[in-house]
Amino acid sequence: MKVVGITTQQEFFIGSKERNFRINEFLIIEDTYQGDLLGEVVEAKTYNRYIPLNIYGDFVDNSVIDSLKALGYDIDEDTIYIAKVRLLNEALYPVQTGSDVRLPKFSEIKNLMINTKKDEGLILGVIRNTDDVAEEMDDEFKNLLYTFEEGQLIPQRELPYIFNIRSMHQYPHIGVFGGSGSGKSFGLRVLLEELMLKGIPTIVLDPHFEMDFSELAIDQDTTPSFVDKFKCLQIGIHVGVKFEDLSPQDLKNLLDAAGRLTDSMHNVVDILFKRRDSFTSFSDRLRMLSEAQEEGTIGKIEARIENADSEDERRAWKERKELFETYDKSCPNSSVRGIIWRLMRLANDGVFSKDIREIEDGLQNGKLIVIQGSTRILQVFSTYLLNNLYHKRRDYKDAIYKKTQADYFPPFIVVTDEAHNFAPKGYDSPSKSVLKEISQEGRKYGVFLILATQRPTLLDETITAQLNTKFIFRTVRASDIMTIKEETDITMEESKRLPYLRTGDVFISSASMGRTIYARIRAAYSTSPHTENPFDELKSKAKEEDEKFYSLIMNKLPINDIDMVHIISDIEKEANITYTIDALEEKLKLMADKGYITKEETLFGYRYKKL
Amino acid sequence: MFTINDELKEKISNINNLLEIKYKNIFDLDKTKFRQFIEDNVGQIKKMTKLNKDKLADFHSSGGIVGVDGSNNRIGGAYPHYIEIFQALAKSTYCKNEPLFKTDIYTPLIPEHDENPLEVGEMIIEDKKNIKLANLEVEAALESIDKFKPYAIMMDGGLIRYNIYAYDKWLELKSRCEEEGIILFGVIKDIKTSVIGDLIVEKNSEYEKPIYDKEILFGVLDYGEMILIQEYANKKEPQGYASVFLRSSLQPSVIGMDIIDTQREHLEEMARLVFTLTPENSRGVPLWLDIVDKEVKISDEMMKGLLERYMDRGVYERFFISERDKR
Repeated sequence: MKVVGITTQQEFFIGSKERNFRINEFLIIEDTYQGDLLGEVVEAKTYNRYIPLNIYGDFVDNSVIDSLKALGYDIDEDTIYIAKVRLLNEALYPVQTGSDVRLPKFSEIKNLMINTKKDEGLILGVIRNTDDVAEEMDDEFKNLLYTFEEGQLIPQRELPYIFNIRSMHQYPHIGVFGGSGSGKSFGLRVLLEELMLKGIPTIVLDPHFEMDFSELAIDQDTTPSFVDKFKCLQIGIHVGVKFEDLSPQDLKNLLDAAGRLTDSMHNVVDILFKRRDSFTSFSDRLRMLSEAQEEGTIGKIEARIENADSEDERRAWKERKELFETYDKSCPNSSVRGIIWRLMRLANDGVFSKDIREIEDGLQNGKLIVIQGSTRILQVFSTYLLNNLYHKRRDYKDAIYKKTQADYFPPFIVVTDEAHNFAPKGYDSPSKSVLKEISQEGRKYGVFLILATQRPTLLDETITAQLNTKFIFRTVRASDIMTIKEETDITMEESKRLPYLRTGDVFISSASMGRTIYARIRAAYSTSPHTENPFDELKSKAKEEDEKFYSLIMNKLPINDIDMVHIISDIEKEANITYTIDALEEKLKLMADKGYITKEETLFGYRYKKL
Repeated sequence: MFTINDELKEKISNINNLLEIKYKNIFDLDKTKFRQFIEDNVGQIKKMTKLNKDKLADFHSSGGIVGVDGSNNRIGGAYPHYIEIFQALAKSTYCKNEPLFKTDIYTPLIPEHDENPLEVGEMIIEDKKNIKLANLEVEAALESIDKFKPYAIMMDGGLIRYNIYAYDKWLELKSRCEEEGIILFGVIKDIKTSVIGDLIVEKNSEYEKPIYDKEILFGVLDYGEMILIQEYANKKEPQGYASVFLRSSLQPSVIGMDIIDTQREHLEEMARLVFTLTPENSRGVPLWLDIVDKEVKISDEMMKGLLERYMDRGVYERFFISERDKR
């Protein structure tokens, strides 16, 4: 291997006759004047001057090549390998052409690859194309993981990629970008597994109901169990908002999430919502005001009071009259009604029926809390939840600073898939402001974000700018590639590779490493509940149905066409399933088609019988 | 802007007419009749088949085929301000054998063997060039015998060239090949002979010399056919070569092949080897020679690069940069 051609201080080519180069591998250039220089292959090419089989314009057919091979000449042996290499640190002078090039030793590149200890970092995968150096690596880094390639688990052969979680203190927040099927959700899963193993309190907003870690994918002694390390909580069933704790702003955010609030509705909430209101007291107040407004005038309400059938009714109308007198001018009926339906919508979703105690407890115990719900509900709930938790943590830290008392609340990490729904670019969403706040000052309080999205272009730019580490999976959309190019330090060559990355291969651009690493995410220990192929599901479901029906009729075979009515009543008695004659007929015919039974013609019409 | 001198146009069409008139009778010859003429007077027209893999594997196990070619290139201006590089290559199909290069360099500015630059004419210089190149090629072939012990040596070009320009070394090569049973043959991409042409003139007084084989054989042979030139027809015979014309590709033109006379029995076999190694849709040159040719070729860029790198700029500029280079 030698440096060839015109060189610069940063980039040059090397050629070899024997060794093929791989992209992103590291090489040491033994420059006679400048000493050893470390470079990374950014483009690898091969070239054979005789192939494409075109010498002086002739088209060479295979038979001739084969004949030459028989004579002992293999045209492939005239292949030369060329790599474009970029130095990690710019050299003082252009690299000396003709310098020898060799593979580095592990000790020479260790600091560039691994900047933390095994026990202190998240073991996320392997650094691609490092198997040459991996042989000499410390035992600490060996056999840490498996990768999943071409349908099977492969033991670790390359250097591990260990994410330095401690560096998040200086370089907070992680972005995970990649199109669907690129391995993004799966990368997120591995990230979460590692967080659980480290016992880091984490909140996961899971709109896809996929972050369940109870099923294990790898069955080995060393495979950790996550059963008591995480908890899935559904909004409305396990967790919800405690109405009494809501501030007017929280409530407005919530209502806004249920349906956009007008200025006048904001006003209605400000006027009608009182501190410590319960859900019932607030909704009663709204309803009564609305009913009074529907009467229209004080006179009509007074008439209602006079004509009331009972004392209760009279009292109720009196209350309505009071409300009407106080609020009618400032709260237009249409706005009041708007608030009512928004409130009811939230209530029907169960948002107000529970509280967030369980989440807080889980975080205190260093667990991973998965919050599940539809995207809309999650948006609403997360706004409230994150505000609440973030301020608890903030209050605690501020109290320490001010030397006052406050309850302990641990640092935590917020993780969400489809982050562009929670913090969209260009328009406001309730959850956006709290995410933005965390992204900008969460570092000081130990609150970090891990945001995954397939559309980085749609993610709020202020937040994107704060993501100091980015995992970039396969991305095909040109606009997203543009965004990624703008927001990270990946090179032209790397951005060109983005559409062709294999599932699970990832560029990790991290500020703490100061460069981009090409890695492959390790095989996850656990598996997503959504892994069954829907087409397999259809097939197995159909088979199940068929077998069920076959067991119903098995003992009744052979079935003559005139017996149908009896068979139907028998089935109804035994299995409580009712068929019409046509339906049964059709079902039997289908079974015959599928080869469970056969149909034969007899003297007295046809009949179905066993095979 | 781009007006072309009328006189020039006229002269070109004139040449065209002259050629047409001169060759009219020959081009009008009936193909079958002409082929018969060849069969009767020159030699048998034979259909070749390609060699099979086993045969080729035999060649391989007996040492492979060595291809030998030479190349020269010059840089600089007119005589004597130029520098010329010669390079010959013997490359064995046996992959483990490193290619064997021989090089020489010459500039009239440094006279060799006490020659006086002022007295040496351009003709002599041209000869010198041919001598150097032929000698280098023969040397490379000789060395390849020592190093590779090949089954056969395939020279680029007719063997007669070596006879003329590298007589002593050539005799050595010939005798070594004969002693060690190494087949020595040359492939002539552009035939310049007039074997058949002369015979036609001999038999029919209406034609006049010279008529070259290249143009009369154009399109006469079918793909894979060869003419084994009989001794009595071959002028070259006194020099001790046996020759064959063959059409090795779908192109209608014909290439030639020489073999040393003592190895005449291998002529057909080697013709078939050439045929086997020639791509169907090519110019008719065996791929192996093309590969050797490409590897030995000294390109202008390489020439320039070499001089710039290994010659002081001052010397280079003073001697070898011509007015033309600076345009």
